[in-house]
Formats: sequence, structure tokens, C-alpha cells
Amino acid sequence: MIVRPELEALRGDDTPQRQAQAALHAIYQGWRKAGPGQVLDAELARFGHGVLLEDLPLLSGMFDPADDTTLSVVADLISLILKQLEAEPLSQSPLRFSTNESHASVVLARQGDAALVVQAFDGASLAGRPKPASLAFPPTETFERVIAGSAQATVIKVMDQRRDGAELGFCETALQTGQVTRRLGNQAAQLLGNVQGVLLVLRLQRRLPDVGVTREYRLSDGALIHQAAGSSRDSRLELAAALLGKMGRDDAAPLLAAMAEERGSQSLRWQALRECLGLDTATGFAALCRVACRADDPLAVPAGALRAQLLETYPQLAGVNPCPA
Amino acid sequence: MNLPKIDLSALPDLDTLTGMFGSLAGPLQAIESDDTIVIVMVMIYDIIHG
Repeated sequence: MIVRPELEALRGDDTPQRQAQAALHAIYQGWRKAGPGQVLDAELARFGHGVLLEDLPLLSGMFDPADDTTLSVVADLISLILKQLEAEPLSQSPLRFSTNESHASVVLARQGDAALVVQAFDGASLAGRPKPASLAFPPTETFERVIAGSAQATVIKVMDQRRDGAELGFCETALQTGQVTRRLGNQAAQLLGNVQGVLLVLRLQRRLPDVGVTREYRLSDGALIHQAAGSSRDSRLELAAALLGKMGRDDAAPLLAAMAEERGSQSLRWQALRECLGLDTATGFAALCRVACRADDPLAVPAGALRAQLLETYPQLAGVNPCPA
Repeated sequence: MNLPKIDLSALPDLDTLTGMFGSLAGPLQAIESDDTIVIVMVMIYDIIHG
């Protein structure tokens, strides 16, 4: 392995690297905390909370095909960082990034459930990759602006949703410089096909309220092959519920019962109900009965079936009052 | 009232299971061009680069 002398020296004393990183961080924070950086973060936070794009001057300018000036905010930020990286190659970009042979992504800003990302796709590398057999449809809203390049893409739409899959519609489309598109991720996905050279895209994305789940469909027949939580919060709470159950924390049973009765992720609510039943039979069974009695609750049917099953196994549960005073 | 202790493993899951946020059946193929990369990336970055 070849280790350059500069790197070898850092093994004994990493001061130069720490200083370079601190300098870059200071420059970056200077941009972020004042002027356009501050406006960008403020608008992105509002966008994440559901504010319409047209009510956000900076962001809407970035995604207005007729507006060529607002994008300079993005260019300024990237130039600022590149300039410093050039001067101090030992520093690392403070912006989150990910690269592989076919694409590179840089998260320019992120606030809560919203993110502004710039992505570059390399046509030659993409062409060598196998076509995906399935695509995920996450509950997100995405605005895209092609900054440079052109490509063929397939838009895959969910025409009709079934319990075990979806009827998918395929539509070929051409992406060109300056083009702006919007799509709801749970209704349409975009698959890049033939990319000429490099395609550079600015992407603004937020999670939809009442998020639901991410569904992954097989492209050949629309079969549902996977379903995942639509938000990290749901998964985090599900893990917390499982942990409370494993710890035997029966004092958490009322909280788990309340989670089970909230509106929201069915999977999370069901797991909370199971853990609640395991921790405290009376509290859990009362919550189960209340859920089973709700006419408009998608969990009413499975809750009713489980209630019947438990009553058959443990007849003494018939004495549990679903609505304790 | 003397109630039984219910074993968690005896309680059924829902018909359609829901995986963790960001999980995919075909991650290597699908992650190239769809939207998942963005929402997952902003979550996992702190773990691998933090």
C-alpha cells in the first residue's frame, strides 16, 4: 500500500487536518447562518411543514424554469466549499454526500422531513447496470430541476392499488436542461434510462403528511414484494415498543395502549397493541376491544379476530371492562 | 380478577408485514434511480460519517 508522506505524518500529528476541517467548518457555518443559507434553511423548514412551494420565494425560484438567477445560491455554496477543499485537500465536505460508480449525491440542506439535494448521474455507468426488477414508492413529494444534461426516463405510475400489488402504467419521457417536474412518490416513480453524458439534477423532497408506508412493486407484474415504514419516526417508536416489552416494563402499558389507539401507522399500532397485551393483560385487552369496536379503523377487523381468539383461549377475559372508569 | 399472562409469540402479526424505514427487497438494483436514496441517505449519514 502506498501511503503518501503527508498522510504518514498525520499518523503522528493530526493537527493540520483538524485545523483544515475547522477552517472549512467556519466558512461553511458563515454561509449557513447568514444571508442565503439562513433563508434556505428557514424556507426548507417551512416546506417540510407543508407550506406550498410557491409561497417560498427562494425555493420556488430554484424550481421555476423561467428563473435562472436563484440557482446561483446553490452554485455559490458549492464553489465556496470546492475552493476551500482545493486549498486544504485534507478537509472533508461538511455537506452530506454519497458516491458510487454511477451517481453522486450531495445534501445541500436538510430540515426535518425536507431535503434539498443535488445529484449527478453518469450515463456510461448507468448503462452498464442491470434494469431494476422492482421499484419503491415512498410517501414523498419531489420537485426536480434538470440543471444540465439530458436523459430518457420511464415514469412508472400506480394506476390502481390492490391489496397484494398495483396496476402499473409506464410512460416514456425525455428530460432536458431546465425542465422541472413534480411527482408524488407513492403514485409515481421515475427510472432513468439512457443518460447522455452526465445528468445533473436538483431535487427538493419532503415526506407527505399522514405518511403511510413505502410500497415496493415488482415491475413485471406489479406484485407487492415489500412494504416498509414511511417514516423513521414510526420505526423508532416500533423499536421502542419492542424494547419496553422485552424489558418487562409493565408501567409502560398505558402508553402502549394509547399508541395503539392513535391514528397512524397500522404496523406501529399493532406492535404497540401486542406488546401491551404481553405486558399487562387487562390494559392490553381493553385497548384491543376499543380498537375492534371502531367502525372506521383499518385495524378493527384484525383486532376483532384477535379478541375472539383470546376470548376462546382465556374465557376469563370476558370480565375485562374496555372502558374502565 | 385473575388474568392470564399472554405470551407475545401467541399473538399474530398483521397479514402484510411492514419492514423498517428505508428497507427494500431489491436495494442494489432499485437504489440507483428512485427516490429512496434521498430519504434514506439523510438518515444513515450520521451513522456512517458522524
